[in-house]
Amino acid sequence: MQTLAKLAQVLILPGALYLIVASLFITWLDRKLVARGEGRVGPPWFQPMADLLKLLAKEDISPLGTDEKISALLPMVSMASTMAAGLCIPVGNSVVYPFEGDLIVVLFLLSIPTLAYFLAGWVTPSVYGVMGGNRSLLQYFSYEVPLLMSLAAPAVYSQTWSVTGLMDAQQGYRWHVFFLPVGFALAMVGLIGKLKRVPFDIPHAKSELGAGPLTEYSGRKLALWKLTVSLQTLVGINLLVAAYLGGADRIWAHWGFAIYAVKVVFLVVGLAFVQVSYARLRIDQMAESGWRVLVPLGILQMVVTIWMGKA
Amino acid sequence: MSRITIPIGPQHPLLKEPLSLVLEAIGERIVSASMRIGYVHRGIELLCQRRTYVQNVHLFERVCGICSQVHTTAYCQAVEALLGLEIPPRAAYIRVLMCELERIHSHLLWLGVLAEAIGFTTIFMYAWRDREIVLDLMEELSGGRVSHSANIIGGVRIGVSSEQARLLEGQLATFAEQMEFFRELLDRDRSFHRRTQNVGYMSLEMVHSYGVVGPAARSSGCTVDVRRAAPYAAYPSLAFEVISASEGDVWSRAQVRLMEIMQSLSICNQVIEALPGGPLAVGAPRRVPPGEVVTRCEAPRGELIYYVRSDGSERPARIKVRTPTLPMLMVISHLLPGLETADVAAVMAGADLCVACADR
Repeated sequence: MQTLAKLAQVLILPGALYLIVASLFITWLDRKLVARGEGRVGPPWFQPMADLLKLLAKEDISPLGTDEKISALLPMVSMASTMAAGLCIPVGNSVVYPFEGDLIVVLFLLSIPTLAYFLAGWVTPSVYGVMGGNRSLLQYFSYEVPLLMSLAAPAVYSQTWSVTGLMDAQQGYRWHVFFLPVGFALAMVGLIGKLKRVPFDIPHAKSELGAGPLTEYSGRKLALWKLTVSLQTLVGINLLVAAYLGGADRIWAHWGFAIYAVKVVFLVVGLAFVQVSYARLRIDQMAESGWRVLVPLGILQMVVTIWMGKA
Repeated sequence: MSRITIPIGPQHPLLKEPLSLVLEAIGERIVSASMRIGYVHRGIELLCQRRTYVQNVHLFERVCGICSQVHTTAYCQAVEALLGLEIPPRAAYIRVLMCELERIHSHLLWLGVLAEAIGFTTIFMYAWRDREIVLDLMEELSGGRVSHSANIIGGVRIGVSSEQARLLEGQLATFAEQMEFFRELLDRDRSFHRRTQNVGYMSLEMVHSYGVVGPAARSSGCTVDVRRAAPYAAYPSLAFEVISASEGDVWSRAQVRLMEIMQSLSICNQVIEALPGGPLAVGAPRRVPPGEVVTRCEAPRGELIYYVRSDGSERPARIKVRTPTLPMLMVISHLLPGLETADVAAVMAGADLCVACADR
């Protein structure tokens, strides 16, 4: 009976099914908000679902010279690792599989899609794919370090390396964002870099590289890639909500999910706002701002955090 | 690192019209660029020799999808010069009005294309949204958003009623507010600066040696504007400034075009104020006496030249069109080497190519 309940947790709530449905919802919300910001109408609520189903039904074409097995494996691995990361992060008050140290596992699992994305570009014969893959790797080195630092800061501050532990440490409105605001800003920037959104949409810069590494993808594989991006957005936001915004405040136990949902929507609005407000950076500008601005800020935040812990 | 070849076009998201650009890059840096055009060649210069002068007005309107009005203006001026016709003042003013509205929408279209190329979708959407105001006005005046059929040999086909004049004034005032918003936005926005400043520098020497014309030349310090240098239609009696800048990068090209939009707005308002009465056109004979003539007009992208030769029949013996995009196409493969691949998008979009014009 307990096994069945656990299985239901993994597959339905707060596991796979919830993650997919919620990620499609926030994808729609994001697209709608961006559209309104740009003076467009935006898609109806079922659009991401319709896109996904349409792509799943489409013919799968891969050009000569593509390694079929690897190119099919990559989107699956990315999607699986993103969802596995989602299992360690609290959704509302419930979490499937928390353990001490899962923060590191989550960060590791979340970096797999980026590497898979690079490989996806590398195994296609398209020059756009290769260049996009190279760019995504260079970008990975620029944002991943500040992102790791920004998430290590609350871990050091609250002396726990578990995402659920971080959430518990913030109960009573002692949200990390109040104590570590620089860390939160860095985490947002790092998340935007991870999701390859404006101004860091460099690996798939449309006006230069078409769709970048995904140029030669179609059909089901492309559908999985698109779904992975949606899932990454949701899991990344979940992580930030748990690590910085206090997750679901346990004071109002019955309202846990609602509180969590409000915070998720708040971050989606933030992401959409950034998307509307900036032009794409060049890859050299991205690397420069990563190492000259974000990393020193991350180090500063770490030093301050350690000092705060001592005091 | 090894050299890679990046094909851009004939079909590519960066290009709105087909041309083929082959870039050789080492890593992210471009080392050479070569270009091939001719994908939208329609043989218009030969076609026009098989049609009468009257039919050709509509043919030349279709040379370009953006600057259709200025093509017919240049063509009609040439034929009128051969015929020795003087068009009525009302027609001259209406030609100017349509040309300036066209310049406004062309420059805004360009701003949108540039913004999209550097990944700034919001400015793209805003620019094209506000461009609709102008397109709607042109539709109100002529019945067509892109092909207006406004010019005929000897004058214009369309008049401007007093209600239409009031509508124009009101809409242009709204539009001017939007342009102030754009100017402030581009002045302040740092991410736009980072992608356009010091990118695609073109010196005044390059402008002179390649014969670059129009806003692209004026943003490199050249101050030639055909509307001022060789005034045609009603331009002699209208007040406007020739905008120029000296930086020569994509950023200054954007600035020059935005300022030119403001000047065009002022010209439109002057035309509405001073629009004379009288007939719209004078009658023109079907046959054109033998002779040859060259006319120039300031198209949105720069100097547009029409050469017309007549053998005394009702069909032209030869018409040669020289569009402002041609020198820009030649200079562009010299602007690209040494740039980052990401800047190719900014330079290509910033060059404001009209491939259909150049190919014909």
